[in-house]
Amino acid sequence: MSTQEKSLTDKIWEVFSSMKLGLALLGIIALASAIGTFIPQISLEPEKAKTVGALWQTLGFTDLYAAWWFHLLLGLLGVNLVICSLQRFQGIYAKTFHQKAARTLTELPGQARAELKGNSVRLAQVITETLVQKHYHLVRDEWETGWSFTAVKHRWGYWGSLITHISFVILLAGALVGTLLGFKGYFMAGAGSTVPLKQIELSRGKVSQTFNVKINSAEDRMLANGERDNWYTDLSILEGDKEVARQTLSVNHPFTYEGVTFYQASFAHGAALTADIKGQKIPVVLQDQGGNFFQAPGTDLYLVVAAMKNDVQNPVILYQVYQGYGFKLVQSGQLKKGESVMINDAYQVTLDGYSGFTGLQVKEDPGVSLIWLGSLLLLIGLMLSFYWRPVVISGIYNGGETGGKLVLGASGKSKSLLAEEFGQFTDKLKNSAAN
Amino acid sequence: MNPGLENLETSMYYLMFAAYLLSMFSYWVWAAFKSELMGKLATALAIVGFAANTAAIVVRILIVQRPPLTNGYEFLVTFCWGILAVYLFAEFRYRLKALGVFVLPVAFLLLAYIAMKMGPEERVAQAIPPALKSQWLTFHVITAILAYGAFAVAFGLGLMYLLKHKFELLKKSDGLMTRFPALDTLDELAYRVVGFAFPLLSLCIITGAIWANYAWGTYWSWDPKETWSLITWLIYAGYLHARLMYGWKGKRAAWMAVFGFAAVLFTFFGVNYFLPGLHTYA
Ligand code: HEM
Repeated sequence: MSTQEKSLTDKIWEVFSSMKLGLALLGIIALASAIGTFIPQISLEPEKAKTVGALWQTLGFTDLYAAWWFHLLLGLLGVNLVICSLQRFQGIYAKTFHQKAARTLTELPGQARAELKGNSVRLAQVITETLVQKHYHLVRDEWETGWSFTAVKHRWGYWGSLITHISFVILLAGALVGTLLGFKGYFMAGAGSTVPLKQIELSRGKVSQTFNVKINSAEDRMLANGERDNWYTDLSILEGDKEVARQTLSVNHPFTYEGVTFYQASFAHGAALTADIKGQKIPVVLQDQGGNFFQAPGTDLYLVVAAMKNDVQNPVILYQVYQGYGFKLVQSGQLKKGESVMINDAYQVTLDGYSGFTGLQVKEDPGVSLIWLGSLLLLIGLMLSFYWRPVVISGIYNGGETGGKLVLGASGKSKSLLAEEFGQFTDKLKNSAAN
Repeated sequence: MNPGLENLETSMYYLMFAAYLLSMFSYWVWAAFKSELMGKLATALAIVGFAANTAAIVVRILIVQRPPLTNGYEFLVTFCWGILAVYLFAEFRYRLKALGVFVLPVAFLLLAYIAMKMGPEERVAQAIPPALKSQWLTFHVITAILAYGAFAVAFGLGLMYLLKHKFELLKKSDGLMTRFPALDTLDELAYRVVGFAFPLLSLCIITGAIWANYAWGTYWSWDPKETWSLITWLIYAGYLHARLMYGWKGKRAAWMAVFGFAAVLFTFFGVNYFLPGLHTYA
């Protein structure tokens, strides 16, 4: 029984440590990702995605990058990478830190070979000088009738692929943390309004923070040449009524408070109005094109700004009033700055002026730091893999003080680099041996 | 805007176009008739084209006062620059003139695409939306250009490998083939070029993620362009591993280098013209 069990674990381990599985996974993930760009995705084209066959929808093809099986594939790749790295760690560690001098000819690296005769002491001296000068890490061994050495240049390069692999696991972990914890949401608000963070519309996760966001101003600024400079939002963070932070943000210049980051995402025009309901004055900001409505307390009247002239100095709005569940149009008209009008004999509104509407993306993602860590390690790993390639040169000398034979072997990932290094090295030895 | 500079830019564009076209033909004539003179002319024309290409980019920078990397026209002209930069380096470093036979057409076709498909309004310097005003974008596109340029060169090497392989099988000793380096050398060179480009493509994707995180609050949104750059990345990762594992050197590796470049082109053209997404303005 127990031997069978062991062989099963062994088998699983074997499968997961194989590069064959890794290659297959890379291929399948690439293929699946490609399919996702041809089938309409809910996140990009919600309407079109609904027209895709029901079977495909059930299998998750219209939300492919969030589908359980896609995540499973990524998970398998992660497991593959972890096991493969565990398996290779010791070998790489030994190669870097416990390099041994070759003892027999079969141990010599075999990509390039050379042989020469010479004086033992002289050769040993030149080898040491040359290799140390070229930043090789050198280990030596000696016995009665001879000696040997192994030298490695760029030995940190051995870690390249391992670091690259681990970095990818960290990236996956970062993405997982981001999906499980944190939230993502969006809100649009006019200047002057205060939005409790708990009430914004979320596309993922839950908000645990209790603070409010006050929009002090929202501006669409132009440059002198008529091009758009940027959208700016001046916002305050309120804990209760108390302002605890204040910042101006714009596209590409987000603002973070307690792990929650606000991004300027969009901008719309709107109007600032005051509703006067039996002496009670309520400030109202309404977005152009009916982006939002105002329902006066105690009424079933919905006030919207159907259109407006976006003149910051002299705004003019076309307002409409709808009533009841049927949204019957009961009143409409134009309003200039400073003008007032009675709405269905229930209350009075006054147009105070123009107001910008800012659209903010709000996100808490505790996984982001893992993503940046993984990215950094990925780059370090790749640099080591491709720009820091190890070269090993090793040799064994056998025979007496003079006239013994030195056999050299070398290997390296890059053939041309190896040929160059080894060629220079053997030339130098031959020259000095001839002297 | 300065009309003098704009005229200069247009002249440089046409000079580059003509030089690359003539250079391409010269490489072909050189290959077909073994004329050393044509070979020298081909390289000289490629250098002239590259100089004009550089000038066109510099003048565009002077006109728009920002890196010229924000619309399709600017990107293609810079892409050609990347291809020629990596190619000319390879020609001089490895004495690989035959590579020009395959790489110059790639650059020329990209420019021909601009000339045929893009109207003048797509070519003029445009105002950029606030999201594109970021230093990260500059890094993002510069790394993309060098990586894509190198992948184009690996593509050329892959084609050379496949052709030479075919001819050796048929035991034909065509004149052109004798000018190609040995199969092993071609294979090794393609590997080195991909090894140079792969970290750059990774850096391109990472800087893109950093930028997206600043601009939209998501470092990765599976937008088709992002997804295709990831697919390209996975294909080249596959190339690197297949070589190590099955000893998929040679023919199959050469096919993967060709295939990988097809993915590069799709990432640029296919995504912009066939698929929806955030990047459609970039
Ligand atoms: C996102 C996925 C992966 C990336 C980006 C990646 C990256 C790399 C890189 C850059 C190298 C160095 C290649 C070279 O020097 O030519 C490498 C080598 C290697 N990779 Fe991966 N890899 C990935 C997945 C995997 C998987 C799933 C396995 C499976 C176990 C694997 C196993 C190996 C092995 C065994 C080597 C050989 C190292 C050597 O001989 O130096 N890789 N990888």
